[in-house]
Amino acid sequence: MTEEEKRSFLKRMLQSIQDVIYGMASHDMARQALKTRGSMEHLFILITMGDLLGVPILPPYYSLRLLPYVVPQISTWKRRMLRERDLTDALA
Amino acid sequence: MAAVVLLIALAVAYVGYKFYAVKIDRQVIEANPKKATPAVMYNDGVDFMPASGSVLFGYQFKSIAALGPIVGPIVAVQWGWLPAFLWLMLGVLFIGWVQDYAAAMMAMRNDGLTMGGLAYKFISPRARGILLAFLYFYLLLIMGAFGAVVAGLLSNPVVPIGLLILTLAGILAGQMTYRWKMDLVMTTIVTVLIALIGIWLGTTGAAQDIVKAINAMAGTGDKHILYNTPYGPMTWPKFFWGIVALAFCYLGSVLPIWRFAQPVNYVSFWFVALGLVGSVLGVFVAALFGTTNVSFQIPAFVTWNQPKLGWLWPMLFVTISCGAISGWHSLVSTAGTARQLEKETDALPVGAGAMFTEAVLATMALIFAATAIAKPDGSILYDAKNMYFLKTGAGGIWMYGMARFLSWIPGISPAMGGAIGAIFLAVMALTVMQLVLRFMRVASAELVGDKIPAFKNPHVGTIVAILFTFLILWTAFWQRIWVLFGGANQLFAGLALLLITIWLASEGRKYAWAFWPAVFMYATTVMALLVVAWKSFVAMGSAKGAAFAFGNAVAGLIGLFLAITAIVLAIDGLKSLAKAKQKAAARAGD
Repeated sequence: MTEEEKRSFLKRMLQSIQDVIYGMASHDMARQALKTRGSMEHLFILITMGDLLGVPILPPYYSLRLLPYVVPQISTWKRRMLRERDLTDALA
Repeated sequence: MAAVVLLIALAVAYVGYKFYAVKIDRQVIEANPKKATPAVMYNDGVDFMPASGSVLFGYQFKSIAALGPIVGPIVAVQWGWLPAFLWLMLGVLFIGWVQDYAAAMMAMRNDGLTMGGLAYKFISPRARGILLAFLYFYLLLIMGAFGAVVAGLLSNPVVPIGLLILTLAGILAGQMTYRWKMDLVMTTIVTVLIALIGIWLGTTGAAQDIVKAINAMAGTGDKHILYNTPYGPMTWPKFFWGIVALAFCYLGSVLPIWRFAQPVNYVSFWFVALGLVGSVLGVFVAALFGTTNVSFQIPAFVTWNQPKLGWLWPMLFVTISCGAISGWHSLVSTAGTARQLEKETDALPVGAGAMFTEAVLATMALIFAATAIAKPDGSILYDAKNMYFLKTGAGGIWMYGMARFLSWIPGISPAMGGAIGAIFLAVMALTVMQLVLRFMRVASAELVGDKIPAFKNPHVGTIVAILFTFLILWTAFWQRIWVLFGGANQLFAGLALLLITIWLASEGRKYAWAFWPAVFMYATTVMALLVVAWKSFVAMGSAKGAAFAFGNAVAGLIGLFLAITAIVLAIDGLKSLAKAKQKAAARAGD
């Protein structure tokens, strides 16, 4: 094993340890934050839904200004909304 | 001896992983790193989202390792340490990792479905309904079994004040992170330090006096008996601290998760990590330098028939669940991990790796139990004159073990080590109990919310679940609840293995490696539940008061209900297996 390989191995090892600690300590918190953000996005998309469909509900000036923030989230939002859910999903 | 046993456990974990698990992964499941996983295909930024293998290993281990791998071996050494150790090693080698890993693979190859959806797809709609009802009772038993252990721990004077200050530090961590937007490293240092000081304060005389005063509130000392349960007296401290434990879970269930449950768990994690690493090293330090007595004091084999618990088969196999095999893991593997795996090949180190690691943790608990049958002050932990009957709560054994094996670290006194051990255990239990209570609340809202709208209110669902838990907690003997919980837990594992078998058969893959473990788990656990139900119903007849009869009736009915639902599911499952085999054979013939 060359010096370079040794360094790279140690670096990967350290990264793995960091990841495991993160997984045990904080990954759940990060997932929960994402869930909260997901719920917020649902509300946000609801506000601008009219304009997405071409039926303005809010004064168009405001909703049109919001649209650029909504568009990037549409694909993941669709997956969340259309997915079939089961009670046992709530366990994680 | 302790170091040898620990080394054997590490060797079994290595060999099992390297030569069995890897072979199944490569040759039977044919995990393909290039195949798109649900986390990648259905990335919705919330439930389905890819994460690295190392992160998920930590997540999986933290989610599966609760009280099971600790309390199970402590209770099971009453049959002798060797049967307990053999079951731990053989269980994890041939059954435990199979379930955890294959459940994740099955969910991953079926669009990230969870257990309910998988039962619906592979068995029948009825199977899903039965599974959910089974699940509710199983979770109730988790609440009862874990709640009983926590109540016992909190009645120890060195524990409650430390846990209270740790909880407050956790709430502060939530405030610092989410409201004040402070750096996580700074938050961690401040709050862990506060919690550490809190644990130390809890061990001081003044703090212990407060707890002792509460324990003596009922009037006649801290052993004041309120009434008799099937196997012993219900003391005031256990009664009171049981209420405190469930109040804690109530807050975890109804408060926003960032405000209470998450940050408290985060601060606690550091104590769990410290305790784990410190005590594993402590065993080796003790073996090398003789800092602690590590010779086994419980014989390798005690008896085939433990008078209070029953015959070695089937009862030992449900007494030790997590560490060898646990149904809870299949829930975590399917609902959590399978939806986050970035590559199929990560399922092996995450699912199987975490399970083998948990078996090592369970071996630690076994060592703690087998190396101490009495304390230096003369108080007996396992009664050598009475078939090594466990005289105290499992938490007490763990606390004492931590006190001994952490004492090699400078600055950690036995009292402090014991308090860290107790908080370690209480927090592990409370973390799972909060999650379970949240789930029970959601489940009751979903199942009966339309007929009884009150259940849609989060407080109502939570309070009903808590009342059911009290029913178990206050009327039954904790070792009996533990066996019932173990039975339900192992039975759920049998169900998961049955589902895995049907899935493998439907794909035309070899399935014997999942089928025979499923048969063993089914036969063992149904028998264990029937034995418990029978014993409870027989005991009901003896005239020892209403609480005694009621406690036995509850235990008996739950055991019988679980056994019957399991048999119905097995019949449905075997029919589905036959159909799956026929379909696969027809496909192969085309």
